[in-house]
Amino acid sequence: MYIDRRLLSIGDMDRISRIATAILVLVFSILLFVFWNIQIINHDHYGELAHQNIYRRIRTRAPRGLIQDRHGRIMAGNRLDFGLFLIRENSRDLEASIRFAVDVIGLSEELVRRRLEAFKGYPGAFPVPIRRNLNLSQVVKARSRSDTQPEFEVTVEPRRDYPLKRTAAHVLGYVSEITEDELREGSHRGYLSGDAVGKNGVEKQFEPVLKGTKGTRLVIRDNLGVVRRVVEEEEPVPGDNITLTIDLPLQQYVESEFREYTGAVAVADLETGGILAMVSQPVFDPGTFTGILDPQTWQALASDPRRPLQNRFTRGRYSPGSVFKIVMALAGLEEGLINPGTTVTCTGSVRIYDRDFRCWRSWGHGKVNLTTAVRDSCNVYFYLLGRRMDIDVIAGYAAALGLGEKTGIDLPGEISGIMPTRFWKRQHMDSRWYPGETISVAIGGGWVTVTPVQVLQMVSTVALRGRCPHLHFLKRIERRGEDLFRSVPRFRMLPIRPENFEQVVAGMYRVVNDEGTGRAARVAGIDICGKTGTQQVISKDNPRYEQLVKQKRFRPHAWFASFAPRGNPRYAVVVLVEHGGDAGEIAAPLAGRIYKRLFAHE
Amino acid sequence: MSDFLRFFDKTTAIVLLLICLTGILLIISASSTSPPAHHLRQAVFLLVALGAGFLAMRFKTETVFRLAMPAYIFLIVLLVIQIVAGRVIAGTRSWLRLGIISIQVSEFIKIPLALLMARYLARIREVSWRELGRLGAMVMLPVTLIALQPDMGVAFILCSLFMVTFLLKRVRLVVILALLLSITAGSVLVWQTVLKPYQKSRIISFLNPEKFSQSSGYQIIQSRIAVGSGGLAGKGYMRGSQSQLEFLPTRHTDFIVSVLGEEFGFLGVSFLLLLYFVLFARQLRFRSSGDAQFYFVYLFTGLILFQFLVNVLMAIGYFPVLGVPLPFVSYGGSSLLSFMIGEGLIFRMRMNPYLNEY
Repeated sequence: MYIDRRLLSIGDMDRISRIATAILVLVFSILLFVFWNIQIINHDHYGELAHQNIYRRIRTRAPRGLIQDRHGRIMAGNRLDFGLFLIRENSRDLEASIRFAVDVIGLSEELVRRRLEAFKGYPGAFPVPIRRNLNLSQVVKARSRSDTQPEFEVTVEPRRDYPLKRTAAHVLGYVSEITEDELREGSHRGYLSGDAVGKNGVEKQFEPVLKGTKGTRLVIRDNLGVVRRVVEEEEPVPGDNITLTIDLPLQQYVESEFREYTGAVAVADLETGGILAMVSQPVFDPGTFTGILDPQTWQALASDPRRPLQNRFTRGRYSPGSVFKIVMALAGLEEGLINPGTTVTCTGSVRIYDRDFRCWRSWGHGKVNLTTAVRDSCNVYFYLLGRRMDIDVIAGYAAALGLGEKTGIDLPGEISGIMPTRFWKRQHMDSRWYPGETISVAIGGGWVTVTPVQVLQMVSTVALRGRCPHLHFLKRIERRGEDLFRSVPRFRMLPIRPENFEQVVAGMYRVVNDEGTGRAARVAGIDICGKTGTQQVISKDNPRYEQLVKQKRFRPHAWFASFAPRGNPRYAVVVLVEHGGDAGEIAAPLAGRIYKRLFAHE
Repeated sequence: MSDFLRFFDKTTAIVLLLICLTGILLIISASSTSPPAHHLRQAVFLLVALGAGFLAMRFKTETVFRLAMPAYIFLIVLLVIQIVAGRVIAGTRSWLRLGIISIQVSEFIKIPLALLMARYLARIREVSWRELGRLGAMVMLPVTLIALQPDMGVAFILCSLFMVTFLLKRVRLVVILALLLSITAGSVLVWQTVLKPYQKSRIISFLNPEKFSQSSGYQIIQSRIAVGSGGLAGKGYMRGSQSQLEFLPTRHTDFIVSVLGEEFGFLGVSFLLLLYFVLFARQLRFRSSGDAQFYFVYLFTGLILFQFLVNVLMAIGYFPVLGVPLPFVSYGGSSLLSFMIGEGLIFRMRMNPYLNEY
């Protein structure tokens, strides 16, 4: 039997008790101090952290402003888009999350990994946009496991939509996800990763107008990132709506007529300078860019030798060819070097500075004056005029008519082309100007390069007898039905005498209506004036010319610059067909059909 | 029976009950967002534990000491069986299933262990090599078995029984030095061989929780935020964002103090600390009718105190996260039951000098 002995004295026990109590007092004092330190002294710090834990300010994207044609038909709108986001912080096992996205939602593993890689440097709380444009079955799958896969978030956001697909793609441009470089640049203030930003065309030009203002939503979320409550919400403000000068039915007509060619066509309204239709071929589908673009598609578009992304209207570099003769004729008249009666005999070629310069018609045009020289596009007449002129004088007139200079049209990335001068040659070629080069320039060859929009502006100026219109696409900006901006026609007067324009116009009239090079553009009842340009891409002196020209890529570019009617001009049309062959056969009839349609609707 | 009612320490009992009720109050808040009704189960556990405690109090202390060895052996055998054939629950093999009730055997071994140690301490004059060997064998056998389960928390807590020994008995200096040396060597050995990487990272992450903020440091950071953001008076009952929005992990068990700190603030924490202080202070201030009883009360109270400290310090990031429940407060039937039985024995031992039979 066990008996609990008592050897400890009362004193021993009391001593142990006192020591124990002292230890307790010490321990609990320390504990109190520690809690005081955390809860009272550092309360603000931890309070802030707790606040950061639960509150999230979510930026809600605004729908972009609509882009409409002049009749109010929607060319670029918005539709709701289901986007899939991955918040890495909420993922227990990132590999499992990737497997879920691949096996259950059905995304490509490569895509998911690439997106995660692209956003590697972002904080774990940042929702990485994995995919946009989920279909309903994917949305259902992604949401079905929200309890076990809380790291996936499906959002509904407005997304740019181009209901007309490829129609007017080069006018509209496109939007795509903002790049890291753009975000860093600082030029895109207020943008967040994953935002859509206008990258080309009107979308880019009017980005600040179209983008709208983000809304904010202050929410309380739990540890899994699930939103439990919305504390306050500020609705996003949609972007302002833009109305373009584009006439959609005309645009579509021109597109259908031009479908099989490469090049550019544009129609200007001479009353206002507004562009009614503008086509650049080949074209792309702007809808391709709005989602998350995969690199293969982008590569294919960017490296396509046909360059579908290039807007040939403002960025195509072409020799103007015989279209330039309009400039020469005006300059000659204005300088007093020629008058309507001045004649020249064309024998098919002329020898200048010990070199033979050929007319396009090897047997010659015989005796020609200004109007017949324009009508038949006689090279010899203009060679001889060019011999009597200084290159800097020619360049002065060309520049006054807008060649070799940006027109300032409201599309991004317009190039200036080249109108050479002595100074230019010295600067760029480090060489002096040779007189023979002036002779080439006189028929729109040599160093001269222009864009179709410059030619459109020039022919419009001729049509308006010296009133140079400001060409533009923007007609109106409105916010909730109220106009913020309405374009007013602007013209610049050229200091060239109107009667000189009349002389050139007379020649251009005969180009179309008097068995001239542009007779194929003739439409009964409409006084169309125009000028053809067939610009060789290889020299006719090339011994294999006849063989080579059978291949499309060696065929000349075909120009037709025109306006109508002669007396009271209302429209200007420029057609450029790359490697189209003879301008009179390709470019002129197309312009004729466009005029027919333009006037048929009146 | 009338003696029982007269000498029963009602103040301490009320304090103990208040601590337990605080626990249920906190468990209600901690589990308000998750479906299982933890607080109802805990209430049932409490009733069972109180019954068991009263029952333990009715046993003669002498009988209790006599039962210590068989109970110790029985529980050791159970532990071995568990390790060999135990079911894996929550990654550890520490649960024994009896029908619908799961019992954590390791929680109970502390009672016979403390009894055996107390009885042994009563027999010896001072702790020298031989005594150290005996005590070490007593403690390390269950500690090793429990560590193998692996339940590092309980194993670690049991080691605290050694420390109390120093207060109670004269210990030779060389023995202390040898003990310190062997603890250090043992720790290194355990660190190198037994511990799994996740356990290691759990232990070191408290030193620099930010570095482990995505894994083991997350709990510490969130717990500290909960406590710190509570401030003086707290955010209000059931209104703590850290606990209600589930940022706080295992908040009904290991991190229950954080719920208290967040929702009731410094005042709430101070109140609970006060309750514990009263409990410990009153229990330790007594004159025993026998040495073994005296040692047992100290050993077992020391054990509760140590576990209480480990849990509280862990919650505010001053101690590794070992998964140790807060005595009487955290959710969990085994822990509550074993502590209540121990308390029952202590209550009885403190009454013994006034009773005629013991």
